[in-house]
Amino acid sequence: MEIQEQRQGAVTVLKPCGPLIMGDATEFGQRLSEVVTRSLGRLVVDASGVAYVDSTGLETLVAATEDMAAGGRALRLCGANETVREVLDLTGLSDRFEHYEDLTTAVRSFL
Amino acid sequence: MVQNQETTQSEVAPAAPTPAAQASVPRVRRRGLLSHGEGAVARVGIVTAALVVGVLSLSSWWTLRTYHAQEQASRERELLSVSGVLTSSIESLMSNGDITGVRRLVADAAVLQGLSGCRVVIDGVGILADAEPSRITVAKLPEAKGNAAAVSDGLTSGSLDRGEGGLLRVRTSLAVAGQNDVALEVSRAGTASTFGPWEVQAGIAGIAALGMGGLLMAYRQMRMRWRGLGAIRESLMIEAQGDAVAGELEVGQAMGPEAAAWNGVVREREKLRRLLALEKAAEKIAQRSGAGGELSAACDAMWHGLLVLDDKARITYANGAAAVLLNVKREELLEKPVREVFEDESIATAAEALATGRTRQRAIADVTRPGTERTVLRLTAKPMRREESGRAIVVVEDVTQQKVAEESRGAFVAQATHELRTPLTNIRLYVETLVEEGETDPAVRAKCLNVVQSEVRRLERIVGDMLSVAEIEAGQLKLRSAEVRLDQLFAELEADLRVGAEDKEIKLVFDLPPKFGVMSADRDKLMLALHNIVGNAIKYTPAGGTVSVRVTEEGPHLRVDVVDNGIGIKAEEQELVFERFYRAKDRRLANITGSGIGLALARQVVRLHGGDITVASAIDKGSTFTITVPISNGLSMRAAA
Repeated sequence: MEIQEQRQGAVTVLKPCGPLIMGDATEFGQRLSEVVTRSLGRLVVDASGVAYVDSTGLETLVAATEDMAAGGRALRLCGANETVREVLDLTGLSDRFEHYEDLTTAVRSFL
Repeated sequence: MVQNQETTQSEVAPAAPTPAAQASVPRVRRRGLLSHGEGAVARVGIVTAALVVGVLSLSSWWTLRTYHAQEQASRERELLSVSGVLTSSIESLMSNGDITGVRRLVADAAVLQGLSGCRVVIDGVGILADAEPSRITVAKLPEAKGNAAAVSDGLTSGSLDRGEGGLLRVRTSLAVAGQNDVALEVSRAGTASTFGPWEVQAGIAGIAALGMGGLLMAYRQMRMRWRGLGAIRESLMIEAQGDAVAGELEVGQAMGPEAAAWNGVVREREKLRRLLALEKAAEKIAQRSGAGGELSAACDAMWHGLLVLDDKARITYANGAAAVLLNVKREELLEKPVREVFEDESIATAAEALATGRTRQRAIADVTRPGTERTVLRLTAKPMRREESGRAIVVVEDVTQQKVAEESRGAFVAQATHELRTPLTNIRLYVETLVEEGETDPAVRAKCLNVVQSEVRRLERIVGDMLSVAEIEAGQLKLRSAEVRLDQLFAELEADLRVGAEDKEIKLVFDLPPKFGVMSADRDKLMLALHNIVGNAIKYTPAGGTVSVRVTEEGPHLRVDVVDNGIGIKAEEQELVFERFYRAKDRRLANITGSGIGLALARQVVRLHGGDITVASAIDKGSTFTITVPISNGLSMRAAA
């Protein structure tokens, strides 16, 4: 699965292009972890390219946000589609993330 | 006789009126009782007893001595007076020659006055009269000697003489007519004993015995209690010297209510100490594990770092964010002097000054944390207003994004000013020329107007860029989508760029598909993006080069490849060139003006349309920028918030 990475100022944007499931999710998790450490939590996950997630995908996201919780932060997600949002709501995990409509707003939240 | 009595008494009673004997007895008694707690009490007891005994014996001795002396004096006086009275009587009797009368008087006086001896003596002859008749040696007075002038002058005072064993003797010379050397001698025993009669001594001894007995009884009674107090005092001394082990301070319970109360206090204190230690430990644990306590949880939920410093500038608390931002484990932060944690001199000094109470001013410093990714932290040190004057907090904020934004703005303004200057200068120059010469020379006029026109267009583009950038910064970039005729779009693009390319002798080729459709897009923004890409290609290709624009439709996407054979971009910089204000570190760029925002803007616009721009390049070989935009779907209608 392709994971696009771009920089907007001091903020890193990771955009996984594909459903966040199984092996792809694990791979994304590793990348995510690396970026979290490197960027001190200044990152946004652009989920506009993620059609759906499975439990591994959820685990990955939760692991990242928990990691950041030690520093009083949460993982910022933007562009999540309805399916993904529903999954997060149903599993009660929605509160652990910060949700944004689009990338620009998400990036601006760092100012 | 007197000495014997004394010795007997000292054996019978524990105290006798002899200081030496008395002092030793109490001490013997008490030696066996000097144990825990006794020390102080025994000392007091001994001193008291010794004092009492000393006072008692001293007063007794003085009383008795005085009494004895008085007794003696009185006896002496008596004897003298008796002697005096007898003298006058005897003198008159002897004058009448009544020897028998004298003898009778002497005998009676001895009996009546209790004299041990009473006699009339004629020196050199013998004893004329005596209370003991057998001692008489002279029958009658010797011949008168002739000195008839012996007259009795009343009371003749005799001379007192104290003999051995306290015997008193008075010898009085008698004045008898015709006789010399006649004397009366009376004698009497002295006082019975130096210390008075035995009743006195016994009485005193008895009272002393009773007194000592009483003291002893009282002492016995109080012993336990006093021992208790003595023990408590000892415990206090131990405590004062240093930290006593628990249990060392307690005293025997049996020593009375004070002891019990003391033990209670000691146990209470131990309990409180243990509780305090437990509390402190719990606090430390809670601090380290970051769990427990609502306040602690709240601090850990903060995304700003918080450090609390004590009055010696040591860190006493650090929340989770502080550890993350400073890239130090939380446990390693605690108890560290603040200087060790912050390498930046100014903030370390400021924090120290605030913590130790030397200043009350806030201090702010922006420090760059070294690391692979640039991070700017804002450290604010502020005093904590509490009872103690010295304590401070340090707040750590990640202001990297803000710094970047500031720098962007600054760079942008500088660059934009620079960018605007050139066309404006050109316009001014050419308008001046137009004014001076244009009226007369049509060729000049035509040229000037052309230049002005293209410079104005350039200005428009630059200003358009600036507005777009401003909009993007403010998050207000909106796409006003409309139906865009692609053929017209590219035609306009070509027209705009042709002159510039020709000036530089660059071949500009447009390879367009035969049938062009329409797409939903923001025409101006799209034009802007395309203009930037193709304009760049021309800018960064030296004279004689070629720039070709190839447009194709790939499924739902429109694909535009802009190929040049210019200076190319290094591999490491190929991603970076899309960043705002980034200009490649190629020496050849020094002579080429550029704001550094063209690519960033183009990419932003294309992405907003749902597409993207990528680049493939090699140094000196040229670059190919590829724009991909979906032609028709909901994405391209999306507007930026």
